[in-house]
Amino acid sequence: MSEYLQTVFDKFELQVRKGYYYTKDDLWASVENGKVRVGVSDYLQKTSGDVAFIEVAKPGSTIQQGKEFGTIESAKTTLALLSPISGKVIEVNDRLVEKPELVNMEPYGEGWLVIIAPSNFEDSRLLLSADDYYKLMLEKLKSEHGKLESR
Amino acid sequence: MMAAEKKIGIISCSGEGCVEGTISRIATRLVLEKLRPKDTVTICLPLFLAGGKEERKFARDYPTITVDGCNKMCAKIATERYSGKPASSIIVTNFNDSQCPQLISRRKLNDEALNVTRKVADRIVEEVDDVLRHWV
Amino acid sequence: MKTEVSPQKKVIIIPCSGIGKAFGSISRDATYEVTENLRKDSTQTLCLALLVSGDQESLQLVRNNKCITVDGCPLQCAEKNIKIAGGDLASSFRVVDVYKENRHLKPRTITFLDPDGQQMALVLAEKIGKKVDGLLRNQ
Repeated sequence: MSEYLQTVFDKFELQVRKGYYYTKDDLWASVENGKVRVGVSDYLQKTSGDVAFIEVAKPGSTIQQGKEFGTIESAKTTLALLSPISGKVIEVNDRLVEKPELVNMEPYGEGWLVIIAPSNFEDSRLLLSADDYYKLMLEKLKSEHGKLESR
Repeated sequence: MMAAEKKIGIISCSGEGCVEGTISRIATRLVLEKLRPKDTVTICLPLFLAGGKEERKFARDYPTITVDGCNKMCAKIATERYSGKPASSIIVTNFNDSQCPQLISRRKLNDEALNVTRKVADRIVEEVDDVLRHWV
Repeated sequence: MKTEVSPQKKVIIIPCSGIGKAFGSISRDATYEVTENLRKDSTQTLCLALLVSGDQESLQLVRNNKCITVDGCPLQCAEKNIKIAGGDLASSFRVVDVYKENRHLKPRTITFLDPDGQQMALVLAEKIGKKVDGLLRNQ
């Protein structure tokens, strides 16, 4: 059984990792032992192009659900990252300083952005399931034809 | 058997050694961007050669048209080797008599080279339309 | 096409020429800037696809001369293929690294480079040119 829901658009395979939560802004959240790991979805990384810069809130920062906690930048675009959950940043992925391409290559794995100690677990009920995000992604693909860049 | 969605992969050589490589590249891009944007997808040949999974899978599942600068036919050979026989193959040197001149720039196409580019692009479009007409 | 090396040609520059991204076009344009202008007497390029298809002249060329690869993105197809071919890889460049140092440049077009793309190609070409000089000094 695959770990992913997936579809094909043009020549691109787009994956949604099962078992994660998602936001409408294409971020994912994975609950791990009471903490929440956050990253960007495969759809977001493919539409952004090759990521060159990532800036996120430092460890110790308090962030709010739905508010900006960082940005990712490629030659194509600069995107604000809106937090899927409220809490305190306890760890950032330092590997992305030297290797921002990990966001493109492993968006659900080594390309994670931050780990958050959530202030309110109830927030997770406001997030989308993988199935619901998958449907949203299909709608976005239909309406945004031609946005994907070759990888 | 052809996939349900009608898309055709165009695989261009982009060869750096001759102006015909530049012509094949630009003609392919013109088809992709302007002439048949909804019907075509470009396959990145270096990524295809380096093992790109999406590129090779697409070329297996959908019809392809290869566009080569010269009769060494690198794009056609690679497509046959890694994915399957293309629906059609085009060679740019069949469109001009220059026989790979080194004197004109491979980078900034002159008027003659641009004319050849348009002819190649039109031929690609003919092949695309032919594949679509016969799509089962 | 020519794959023989004239006596003055010492360094082979191989771009990825990826067709789906602006960075691929920049890799190609930078290579031509070096081989047709900046270091035209000491460099040449060759078709990456010809190399991978097993063309013997191309294989001998990259094995007997110093090579510099110019890749558009971190997938580094040119570098990978030169290594597989057993080429003498002396240096590798990635266009994305030039973008990191020149954040104000935002190339958007692929088929014909826009001014930012052309500028990025020139910046990259200068870097490649200096690397060529270093390689030739050490020979």
